[in-house]
Amino acid sequence: MSQKSRVINLYKTLLHLGREYPQGYDYFRTRLKRAFSKNKQVSDPKKIDILIAHGNYVVKELEALYMLRKYRTLKRRYYSDN
Amino acid sequence: MFRNSGICLVAEELWDLLLPKKMAAIANCVRHALVRNACLLRVMLPRTAVVGIQQNHIHTKTWNQFYALHKPSLIQCLTWRQAGQIRHFAEAKPSMDQIRDRVLSVCRAYDKVTADKLTIESHFMNDLGLDSLDHVEVIMAMEDEFGFEIPDTDAEKLVRPADIVRYVADKEDVYD
Repeated sequence: MSQKSRVINLYKTLLHLGREYPQGYDYFRTRLKRAFSKNKQVSDPKKIDILIAHGNYVVKELEALYMLRKYRTLKRRYYSDN
Repeated sequence: MFRNSGICLVAEELWDLLLPKKMAAIANCVRHALVRNACLLRVMLPRTAVVGIQQNHIHTKTWNQFYALHKPSLIQCLTWRQAGQIRHFAEAKPSMDQIRDRVLSVCRAYDKVTADKLTIESHFMNDLGLDSLDHVEVIMAMEDEFGFEIPDTDAEKLVRPADIVRYVADKEDVYD
């Protein structure tokens, strides 16, 4: 898979994940767009690899965030006092 | 399971009502035996019930005769309640014009596209000034609109609304 399509894929994955972001999809989308276009002039393949790895790390973080939110919601339903 | 426990309860009540106190000890014995064998009952009772249904030849025979005589259509066989559960398939395929309208309205709904510049042949990057990330978002909006996934390799070739219209028409088997 070429580096460009990996970046595109990462952007798509992040957009899909951002649909359930707590502050709303639009907030997430503008931030994501800004983060990607901040590094658009980077041309060194090694640096791009590092940035893609960072993006994948953010994907994992988002998944963890959603899992935590789900867990908290469930817990609140079972124990209403805290 | 519920039925079996119900039987146990009824038996218990009967014993308590009918038997004099002298027999209470014997009754207790029997009741304990029942309780002890409840598992066995639970397994055996449903089986006998199933055999009973299978051996009900008369019912199936008459039904077959009735069916041979009348040969009702499927709809007549079903009660109104079942008829509500029949699956209806989607309407006929969209026409080429409908696809074109939907594609254009999705493009127009994207906030960075200026509506007056947008035509069916305008290039997303050169004419409308979108970058590749915007293009990805437009393609994702198309996926949502038409309900199928567009792989990345195909997506990068779809640079005009006309390309998207042709691609969707191919997928839905719509031809002019």
